[in-house]
Amino acid sequence: MIFTGIDIGSRAAKAIIIDDDAIIGSTIGDTGPESVKTAHMTIEAAMKGPGISLDDISYIVATGYGRVLVPFAGENISEISCHARGINWYYPSVRTILDMGGQDCKAIRSDAEGHVTNFVMNDKCAGGTGRFLEMIADVLETPLSEIGELALQTANEIPFNTICAVFAKSEALAHLRHGIARSDILAGLNDAIAVRCLTLLKKVSIEKDFTITGGIAKNKGMVAKISEKVGLEPVLAEDPQLIGALGAAIYARERYLGKESEDTGKVQYGYNDATGDYYITIDSERCDSCGECVSACPEAIFEIVTEDGHRPKAVVAESARKRLSILCPGYDSCSSSFKVNCRSACSKDAISLSW
Amino acid sequence: MNSSLRCWKTVRTMKTLGIDIGSLNVKAIVLGDEGVIGTGIGPPGDDIEAGARSVLELATRQAGLNSDSLPSVATGVGAKLVSITPQQKSITTCLARGARYMFPTVRLVIDMGAESTTVIKVNERGRLADWANHDKCASGTGLFLEQMAKLMNLPLEQMAKLSLQAKGRADISNTCAVFAESEVISHVHRDPPTPMEDIAAGIYYSVVSRIISLCKRVGIEKDIVITGGMALNEGLVNIMEQELGCEVLKPEAPQTIAALGAAIIARENAEKGIKT
Repeated sequence: MIFTGIDIGSRAAKAIIIDDDAIIGSTIGDTGPESVKTAHMTIEAAMKGPGISLDDISYIVATGYGRVLVPFAGENISEISCHARGINWYYPSVRTILDMGGQDCKAIRSDAEGHVTNFVMNDKCAGGTGRFLEMIADVLETPLSEIGELALQTANEIPFNTICAVFAKSEALAHLRHGIARSDILAGLNDAIAVRCLTLLKKVSIEKDFTITGGIAKNKGMVAKISEKVGLEPVLAEDPQLIGALGAAIYARERYLGKESEDTGKVQYGYNDATGDYYITIDSERCDSCGECVSACPEAIFEIVTEDGHRPKAVVAESARKRLSILCPGYDSCSSSFKVNCRSACSKDAISLSW
Repeated sequence: MNSSLRCWKTVRTMKTLGIDIGSLNVKAIVLGDEGVIGTGIGPPGDDIEAGARSVLELATRQAGLNSDSLPSVATGVGAKLVSITPQQKSITTCLARGARYMFPTVRLVIDMGAESTTVIKVNERGRLADWANHDKCASGTGLFLEQMAKLMNLPLEQMAKLSLQAKGRADISNTCAVFAESEVISHVHRDPPTPMEDIAAGIYYSVVSRIISLCKRVGIEKDIVITGGMALNEGLVNIMEQELGCEVLKPEAPQTIAALGAAIIARENAEKGIKT
């Protein structure tokens, strides 16, 4: 039976077609401005290889940034779950995943079955994303595909004290003006980004085996730096950019065959940018959905939701997730200004703040 | 008796220099008995030492002085990179002092520079009580505004004027300058496109919300003084006042407040030196 996973990312759209346990078709293309059109073009391209049509596919799961706009998908699943499941297909021993995409970066922990046990995501800052590398490649007038190799040729790495894409760009330009080699600039930038990835990984704790997925995993200079900082050699899939789509395809097969699975544990909401970490962690297992945090927070960050088939639990409201550092001044500042707050209100001690 | 009289005379004719080496501009202030008597502003250029010296000369010449051997204090990100004076003070102390000099009722200083934003809480005695700083990310800084203005193909002043006519605010949810760019582009290409006025207001709001979150960390208290180059931007100030729910006090030359504070400290140091 044939199943398909389609991953509409922020910069690239990917699809994989599997027949039982074999990959029979795959594609990687650019994400266009119209998501629906991109979805159609991507699946057409993937089906061309094995020469099949939509009718031959039993079930399709969509994932990625544009997953809700895939008209022919049976359901959509978050890319975090899909990356964990996808890499588990290649390497069941992988427990820590760093997914470096076009516009975000995630650290994921998974178990032996490829279920997510913890994750952190950073999608609020371009530092260390594909967009950042595109900008730098542009500044250095080097094709994106060549910057990985170029960074490896460094003789005298230039330290960068910023991961802000805007500041890094002006710093890089200044270095170029002073005649510093492009490879040295790149190596310095990769170093700054790798340090940041490490802090993200430490949040979920690093355990062997370790892998990198997403488009940036194809950048040799970056992979070498991350491996150096983490102190582990990553096990890389044949094409790390396709892992999300592969996970979606595997989910498609599972769902079609009626298997249900659920990711539980701690959920971290928030992001980190160059100014610091802004994460609110909610331990879903401890949370008894009493709702005290909802009324305690002066900025109404929390809400109680009930997802299909699950018991109700507290979450950080969707609208607040991308503005946490703006809405919430942090635990210490909040407790000095207000009598009650999320943490003091929670009798189960299920909520914690990183700042 | 004799010596104290001489001391009084010396103090009365004292002139001091404050110099603020910022990331985009160097600011210099010559402070005399009657107030500011010389101002210089200019870019540091590739040779920061030479750039700072020429700005310094600008200020001393305006003050009618030809020597730069005045008691002086340097501040700003580049203070350590120049050899003009061994006396250095942190930007926070200088801002608190300068703002207090202009507005004795100040309790909160919001300094909005090219590459950093600093908020400073001042106590009743005019001393630094607390501060918070934002300098590692371009959002909430002048560079962010500059980049957005460039993207919209508008001079900064015109973007400010446009925003004053806004009827709404375009939603710029991202704080990252890079991601905000794509949001602005999608607003422009929307059908129908979001009015330019609203986009400009949305851009200012995005900067302001970041700055206000910084203010919340030290506590918002009136009177609020805004300083730094971005304080000259009326679009930004307008939205900031709306969000703070009160008027803010704006010095005439907001970029030079840190330099002014440095000159005040130089003066105090010199006075102390004479007394002891």
